[in-house]
Amino acid sequence: MRTKVLAAIVLFGIGFALLPLENSVRAQRQQMKYGGAHVTFQLREAIGQNLAIALLAGMRGVVADFIWLNSHGFWEKKEWLRQYRDILVVVTLQPQSILFWDLGQWHIAWNIGYGALSDPQNRTKAEGIKREHEWHQKAREFLERGVENVPGKYNLYFALGWLYYEKLSKDCDEPPCQEALCKATEYFRTAASFPDAPQFVPRVYARALEKCGDIRGSYEEWKRLWYLDRSKTDQTWSIIEREIRQIENELQIPNAERVFPISKP
Amino acid sequence: MDAIRTEQLTKKYDLGWRKGRLLALDKLNLRVHEGEVYGLLGPNGSGKSTTLKLVLDLITPTEGSAWIFDVPCNEVVSRLHVGFLPENPYFYRYLTGAETLGFYGKLCGMGGAALKKRIDELLDLVGLVKARDRRLSGYSKGMLQRIGLAQALVHDPKLLLLDEPTAGVDPIGSKDIRDLILRLKGMGKTVLLSSHLLAQVQDVCDRIGVLNLGQLILEGDVQTLISDQRRLSITVQDLPEAAQARVEEAVRAAGGSVVSIEHPQTTLESLFLDALRKDSRGAGHHD
Amino acid sequence: MTEVAVTASSTSRERVGFSPNRVGVIAVNTLTEAIRQKVFIFLLIIGLVFIALAIFFAQYSLGEQEQLKFIKDTCLGVISVISTLIAIVGTAQLLPSEVENRTIYTILAKPVWRFEFLLGKFFGSLLLLTVSMVAMCMMFGAVLWIKEAGMIRDLSQTYLGQTAADKADAIQQIQQLKTTALDFDLVKAALTDLVKAILVASITLLVSTFSTSLVFNVAVPFMVFIAGMLRGTAAEMWGAHHLFMAVVAIVPDFGLFSIADEINLGNVVPWTHIGEVVVYGLARTVIIVLAAHLIFSRREI
Repeated sequence: MRTKVLAAIVLFGIGFALLPLENSVRAQRQQMKYGGAHVTFQLREAIGQNLAIALLAGMRGVVADFIWLNSHGFWEKKEWLRQYRDILVVVTLQPQSILFWDLGQWHIAWNIGYGALSDPQNRTKAEGIKREHEWHQKAREFLERGVENVPGKYNLYFALGWLYYEKLSKDCDEPPCQEALCKATEYFRTAASFPDAPQFVPRVYARALEKCGDIRGSYEEWKRLWYLDRSKTDQTWSIIEREIRQIENELQIPNAERVFPISKP
Repeated sequence: MDAIRTEQLTKKYDLGWRKGRLLALDKLNLRVHEGEVYGLLGPNGSGKSTTLKLVLDLITPTEGSAWIFDVPCNEVVSRLHVGFLPENPYFYRYLTGAETLGFYGKLCGMGGAALKKRIDELLDLVGLVKARDRRLSGYSKGMLQRIGLAQALVHDPKLLLLDEPTAGVDPIGSKDIRDLILRLKGMGKTVLLSSHLLAQVQDVCDRIGVLNLGQLILEGDVQTLISDQRRLSITVQDLPEAAQARVEEAVRAAGGSVVSIEHPQTTLESLFLDALRKDSRGAGHHD
Repeated sequence: MTEVAVTASSTSRERVGFSPNRVGVIAVNTLTEAIRQKVFIFLLIIGLVFIALAIFFAQYSLGEQEQLKFIKDTCLGVISVISTLIAIVGTAQLLPSEVENRTIYTILAKPVWRFEFLLGKFFGSLLLLTVSMVAMCMMFGAVLWIKEAGMIRDLSQTYLGQTAADKADAIQQIQQLKTTALDFDLVKAALTDLVKAILVASITLLVSTFSTSLVFNVAVPFMVFIAGMLRGTAAEMWGAHHLFMAVVAIVPDFGLFSIADEINLGNVVPWTHIGEVVVYGLARTVIIVLAAHLIFSRREI
């Protein structure tokens, strides 16, 4: 018995001594924003007992994936509110998942929104349009939470810009809504500033500037792309060249200042 | 030097809360001389296994001490010269005979060519050469006893502790094991043998000790103990029974021959049972 | 190295010091015995099958990136669960079976320290865990490699004959895919899972030093594991109470070993952080094994 008591004292003592290391690791995780929501009663109600147990066992990703799979099922059955609920649960479980925020907003704005628009239970077409616009706003709020949780990657900024560009710019009395288009350019600019942003992002930014009415800004952006390091790739230059030529003609840039001067016959 | 020496060796087992303690061994003073074969006898629960376990430091004594070749038993080095064969030995069944000996040999610090040579010698000694590459799951009871003996001998110990070495073994196997013990004795080894089979103990042991209820109630040389000094037996040929001296003279005078004059012997089994009967204490002696 | 000096009747002094060789012999024997256990084989096969099947389950109504996430999450989840189960089941019967089968008598009757025996059994269990982890990780790697190859093939075919810009985008996507599919950082997740399993094995070993019941030896470490998973949450809710923390200090915080999700999400988990987690796990393990030795050294066989 004595040895067992001694062993217990050793375990307690050393366990206590290791608490600072534990706290250090936990603090680092909080700083890096690891993990997601705790298993609250509401969350347990939302995901069910079995998945709550799996969550407690540390399988947060697996639980989120299965709920996401579940939400696909609701999508196919057009049970929009259930799908929306599952999307919210999934980003609560894994708030650092770009995939869930990005695809989630796509489902909310494009699929659930369209579902609301074409819902046969709409009494009038106007009601359908109004409901669709509400879902676009929900998607915007959703993505704004997303960029707060994942500020270090280009993806969600681009998604937010695209939401404004494709959807929110049409949600006004006389589309396209200039305000929305110009808001889109802000997000595209932020997305393009990330070094790992794909090549199409700055091109989309340049086009969006033109749509926003800032043709000069668009021209400057196309020119910036034209003078980038070509050793990386030379396959998109035809597009950039075409756009620059078009804008230079539109703005009637003096020949001496053009990137592509017009050759005299 | 004594191979084994115990002084006031006592073991009490706790039976649980408010159930007291069981006195398994009561102030045992035992000496096993180097080079002898000592038989430790006793009924079930007499303390034989407890004694072996205390000597091997498998359990700790409540009081008293024990030594192996003057080394305290609670020190690992005391087992450097001890080989142990437990009752109904069980080994790793997936190992072959040779692999089993190799495993125990390595535990004793052996290795390389010396270990291989030792394994060959031991398998030959215990008669398991043909079964060396067979897994122990395919061994008979007698074969397991023999491989058990071999593992006890792998590091060439000076002292062997054998707990019921012939239990469950057929008569032929038993004889083989008894012969092996005598061979080991001839090699100068000390053997402490614990057994129920009194006839077999009588054949191999030099001295015996009888335990009952944790106490040593009888100890001594086997031949001395089993011979009856009170009676004489005269083996005569063609001579009627009469007074000893006159019979002898009369036999000679009558033309006959005296073949032998000796004391009759009882059997060890009778002696053992008699000693238990004479022991005044009853069963269930608790502390 | 501990030594015992004995003064014999002669002038020679015999010694039996602590021998890593003996520990190794017992460890290898333990591994060989454990590999033959049906329970272990069953668990490992289950793990390998689930990992292999993840590639098929993932194709069910999911996009490519979702499939990749599903495969990684599922496979690492399986590795985590199976390694924990192997740690408990593989270690729970180590000492009780030796005592029940009485093979322990013939071993401890040799000049073998009890600590060598205990350590040998424990290292045998660790070898078993390592073998299992390597097998599962290799299967996981194969699954990811197959998936990556398939995705690259699909991307190449999709953009074949398309515009130069589309092809450039495809090339960029393929390059990104190569870094995200077979991501070397997954090794960090496997490493922390292994350390977690080692810690669970040490707790099981400790329990088995004083308990002979196999059910008890399995149930208690399992409950300690669950309590350890809940510790982090409890600490955040009630951590201000010193008495509470003093009581729970005995239970390791198993939540600290859950790195897989963060790696799968593409978060950078620095090696220094992994190092702290590993040090924490191994420090706990060493203390628990020492506590097990304290108990086992006085145990009556």
